[in-house]
This record gives sequence, C-alpha cells and structure tokens, in this order.
Amino acid sequence: MAFKIKYYLCKIHFNLSKSFKYLLVVFCLISFKFQQPSTFDANSKIKAVFLYNYTRYFEWPEKKKVDNFVIYVVGKNENLIMELKNLATKKKVGNQEIEIKNSSTFDPAVTSHIIYFTPEAAKPLGDAASKNKGKGTLVVAETPGGCKSGASINFIAIDNKLKFEYNKNAAVKAGLKTNEDFKALAAVNID
Amino acid sequence: MCNLRHITKNLLLGVLMLGSACLYAQENALARAQQLLRAKPPGYMEIAALTIDSVIVHPQTKNDFVAWTTRAFIYFEFYKLHDKLKLNSAHRDTIVNSLLVANSLQPDSNYLVQNNKLLVNLSKNYFNLSRTLLQDSVNDQRSAIAYNRYKALYRMVDPKMDFSSDDVKYYLAVGSQYSALFIKDNNDTKSQDVAKVALLKVLEIQPDNPTANINMGLMYYNQAVNLSKSLDYGADFSQIDIVQENMVKLAKQSEQFIIRVYTNDNKNLKAIEALYYIYRMLNEPAKSDDFKKKGEELGIKFSDQTADKEK
Repeated sequence: MAFKIKYYLCKIHFNLSKSFKYLLVVFCLISFKFQQPSTFDANSKIKAVFLYNYTRYFEWPEKKKVDNFVIYVVGKNENLIMELKNLATKKKVGNQEIEIKNSSTFDPAVTSHIIYFTPEAAKPLGDAASKNKGKGTLVVAETPGGCKSGASINFIAIDNKLKFEYNKNAAVKAGLKTNEDFKALAAVNID
Repeated sequence: MCNLRHITKNLLLGVLMLGSACLYAQENALARAQQLLRAKPPGYMEIAALTIDSVIVHPQTKNDFVAWTTRAFIYFEFYKLHDKLKLNSAHRDTIVNSLLVANSLQPDSNYLVQNNKLLVNLSKNYFNLSRTLLQDSVNDQRSAIAYNRYKALYRMVDPKMDFSSDDVKYYLAVGSQYSALFIKDNNDTKSQDVAKVALLKVLEIQPDNPTANINMGLMYYNQAVNLSKSLDYGADFSQIDIVQENMVKLAKQSEQFIIRVYTNDNKNLKAIEALYYIYRMLNEPAKSDDFKKKGEELGIKFSDQTADKEK
C-alpha cells in the first residue's frame, strides 16, 4: 500500500511539475509598460490662446472688419498651425471668421490682421513692420529683442512660463487702436 | 470457572479482531480514496472527499501524514476544476490546512517535498490571480489581497524568501496600469493615487529603477499636458497664468524622476525622449534642442502633435 501511495504521489508530482512550468511562464508574464510621453505641444496651445486673447485688446481699422480675420504664421510650426486651425473652428473675432495662413518665408503680399514670426523666421521682422505701417497689422514675434526690431508683441519665457513684452508705439504705428489695460498684462513694456 | 476463562479469552480475541478490522478499515478507506483519485471514475471527487474526510477524523489515522497529504491532493482536484480563479476558495483553504497538518506530523522527505510543491503551486496561483485581477479586472484592492496571500503562502514553505524582485515587478505593473488610467482621465485621482503609491513602493526598493522613474515622471508630464489641453481658447490671461503655473510645477516634478534615469544611463532612449518634451514644455529651447539632437543620433524619431492626435 505504501508503494501504491508513493507511486501515486509521484504521478501527481509529475503532473504538478507540468503545471509548475505553465505557472512559471504565466508568472513571468505580469507586464508593466512604459508610459508614452504625450507629443502634444502645450506651448503651441498656450500661444494660440495668447494670440486669440490679443484680439480683445486691440481695435483694427474699419476697413479690416470685413471678410475673415487672418492670422498669418511666418515660418515652420506645425503644432501651432494645428492649434490655430482648431481655434478657428471654435472662435470668431467679433463677427469675423478666423482664417489661418502660413508660409515658410515672409510674403508681403499676404494681407493679415496678425502676423506671427516663428523664432527661425524672424529675420524680416523689421521689414515686415515697416511694410505694414498703418495697415492695421499686429506683428507678433518670438525672438530676443523682437519688440525693438519692430514687433508690437514679443513672446518671452520668464520662470519657464510663456509671457510677452509689449511695444505700444509699434502697435500705434501699425494703425491699431490700443487698450491701456494691455500694458499691465505685459511682462515687459518697451517704449 | 473454566467456562468463564474461555468466554473472556474469546471476548478479548473478538475485541482484538474488531480493533484490527477497524484499523484496516481506515487504511482501506485511505487506499480507496487514493485509488479513486488515480482512476478518476465519474463522480470520484465527491466519494474520495467523503472517504478521506472520514479517514482524517478517525483516531487511528488522524495523525497519519499520508492521509492529510492525500486529502490535500483530493481537494486540489476540486480546486483545479472550480476555484482556480477565485480569490476566496474553501477548497484552497482545505488544501492549505491539510498540507500544514501533514507537515506538522513529520512526514518523510518525499511527502514534505510534495506538500511544499503543492503549497508553492497554490501560492503561484495567487500570484497569477493578482495579475488577472490587476490587468483584466482592474481591481487593485483584490489584486493586492491575492498578491499578499501569494507571499504569505510562499513564506510557509520558505520563510526566508526574498520578495523584493517580485514586489518590484508587481508594483511596476500596478503603477503602469493605473498611471495609464489616470493619464486617460485626469479626474480619476483614485487611479493617480494607486499609481503613485505603487511606483513609490518600487522606488523604495530600487530608487534608480528606470521603469518606475520614467512612469512616475511621465505621469506628471502627461498630467501637465492634459492641463494645457483642457485650457479653453477663450481663457483670459489670468487663467492662462494659473494653468502655466501648474504645468511648470508638474513638469519640474516630472524632470526630477526622468533626470535620475538619464544621470545613470545617458543613452536611455525613454529618458532622452521624455526630457526633450519636458524642456520644450518648460520653455527651455537650448536644453530641449540638445536632447532632441541626442535622441535623433540614437535613432529616436520624435513625433509631432499630429501623431499624438492620431493616438
């Protein structure tokens, strides 16, 4: 009988050994995965929100209150273009639909309400500012000394946050009616 | 007088025979139970269980480790069939109890080995159950119960067992599961808490664990991204400022975890990729460009926002 018991337990052991192998495999399969960083460009979203906010603080000439409100992006920034296009589907400036235009280099023939120069395409900033004098175009840049080179607004980073400097004179020269409250919102005012 | 002696002698013989018969009856019952377990005829489990249950309470066999081990294996049949995926199982409890009694009766080495293997089997089933409850049912509490039972049962066999490596694997799984849930829904703070607790447990054991550091960092980074996503285009400057303030805090928390990985391994692709995105968020173009360049040299293809939308 003892032999039988032992024999039988050996058989059980054999079967269990097989299940151990199986268990061992599953045991190792508990999985953990790396999270993926979101590729969403938060700063492009913030810039789009800033650009839309600017429309509340400036008044464009009457002749520019017809047709679409054009935001012209000079340079390559796919993420910003996408954000602005999203913005255009959701918001209006007064009764004007928002239209986004983009070119890799500055095209003086493009009529717009806001021109934004990406950091890489900011070279013709001064030229653009002088060509748009009195035409009711808000020139926005993102380059060191942007406001001194003719931009009305220049994005800057302070304490890792996106802020802006403001040149009221440049905005007035551009033919825009300005709001005094706006000066208080700028991180730096350049006269 | 002679008659009385004769009667007493016969009576004693009868009692002796009856006693022997009883003893053998129990041994036969044990053999019968084993026979049933081996042959597996229809309905064998119930009969085998009834038989063995009578064997283990009988004074003659209740201290027989063979009986208790046999009982464990008979109930293991029930367990395999009905209870393997149950967190609470009376059959499993019966098996464990039987094995512990068997081991306390000083079994021979063969039996001890079988008993312990069965205990290990059951404990590993608890581990698998913890995995299923975590990854399929997304029930962290029941999963944690199963995981702790896995360890407790395993310790019965090997009290000195070091579970650090299992703890790391398990809590990494919990952390990645729940951080993914939180990233999907930032209002799900319960998932965030579960993920944080789990990943911090890993970091307690292995402060430099790359997966835990990366997942912890990315949980904060992706939370910051979601904040910006939720910002309305019509938000005023004060709202933008609040969102940026919180984004920066989260991005800096994220940076602490990721930079630890990068410091230990400056070719860690996940860390390099994450640092590019973190510094981009923190408006530090020099640093983000630097990590982008390093990443591209190591073969990372950085996706733009379009790819994120498609995800």
